[in-house]
Amino acid sequence: MIAGLVLLAGGVAAGVFGSLLGLGGGILIVPLLTFAFGLPLREAVAVSLVCVIVTSSASAGVYLERHTANLRLGMVLELFTASGALAGGLVAFLLSDRVLAALFAALLTWVAVSMFRAGRKPQAVAPAPGSPEFAAAEAGAPAPGSFTETLGGEGYSVQRLPMGMAGSVFAGVVSAILGVGGGIVKVPVMNLVMGVPLKVATATSNMMIGITATSSAVIYLLRGQVDPYIAGPTALGVFAGAIVGSRIAARIDVRLLRLLFVVVMIYNAVQMAIKALGQ
Amino acid sequence: MSLAATPGTPGAGADTARRLESAIARLLTLGTRAAVVFILAGVVMMLAHGIDPLTAAIPAFSLSSIPGDLVALRPAGFLWSGLLVVMAMPVARVVVSGVGFFAAGNRRLALVSLLVVLVLSAAVLAAQAMGG
Repeated sequence: MIAGLVLLAGGVAAGVFGSLLGLGGGILIVPLLTFAFGLPLREAVAVSLVCVIVTSSASAGVYLERHTANLRLGMVLELFTASGALAGGLVAFLLSDRVLAALFAALLTWVAVSMFRAGRKPQAVAPAPGSPEFAAAEAGAPAPGSFTETLGGEGYSVQRLPMGMAGSVFAGVVSAILGVGGGIVKVPVMNLVMGVPLKVATATSNMMIGITATSSAVIYLLRGQVDPYIAGPTALGVFAGAIVGSRIAARIDVRLLRLLFVVVMIYNAVQMAIKALGQ
Repeated sequence: MSLAATPGTPGAGADTARRLESAIARLLTLGTRAAVVFILAGVVMMLAHGIDPLTAAIPAFSLSSIPGDLVALRPAGFLWSGLLVVMAMPVARVVVSGVGFFAAGNRRLALVSLLVVLVLSAAVLAAQAMGG
């Protein structure tokens, strides 16, 4: 009974933490289940995928009700994230635990460095007319009447769709192998490469995570890697934690939290690297 | 491409798009609540039965045994039901979107929705072929 409650509490912590920092829970759940509960990495990835689907569905409902997510763009890109996740879900079973741990260590390091740098640099602003950035954005704008043009939203047009598709395949592969939502790839691709505003990119990515994770979660489920006794309390905790996190976000000093997150991620990256080296 | 109108653009296409988004939002909200209720029931029963999730054997996943487990109030039945609803929600969203796109005359996006469902079906078939 105690273990069930501890899993629930761990899920709540991951949910609160992830929600406050704008992350899906996956990047926190996999190390938590692996190091705190001793789960094999592949089983932790499977449970994490279930958890990110729960948070994605819950947040996608809110984003679609507020008309923040771009349903048309999301639908096109998730064809590619789902294909990537299908490939990644199959490849994941060919990789050894040590390779998975090495890949996860690299991911954790990248996220920690990105988070640290994001906290230090000022917010990006829209390019001014006449600037080189503005000219570059104009050059990447879709042709009038093209399919790409129909995917845009209020005040923006979608650019460089093929690059977005390629980035989405990569996001799907990363999600399936490492049990994360893939937002850490999708949001920068949509925002920086495709010219989608950050708020819309975040909402659309959140919506897409459901299909991305489901594509590989069914593979883990049918191959007997999803343990409902562990997935149940963890998913429930993450769901509750995400709700709590969204309610207290305005009262928390995110700068301090970000710093703490960076430290936790680096610690986890070192642990994963040690696991990868087989020590 | 009526449903391809940009969000916020005045006109019937934008209204249709907003109605579709609201319908999908309701579906996701209700589905998530249903999943949470099933999982919560399963976790409470699991705790009541004294099952240690870290040492208990993973109950085999079998669609045909879930109804029996639910009737017998076995925790695994409720947990599997909740997890299946969780995984069904994104698929349901794609299906409803596809139907909405098709009804609005946007055949290209309807086709994309169909392709997404086919990719998911391929994932199921691939897992079964691998000995799932």
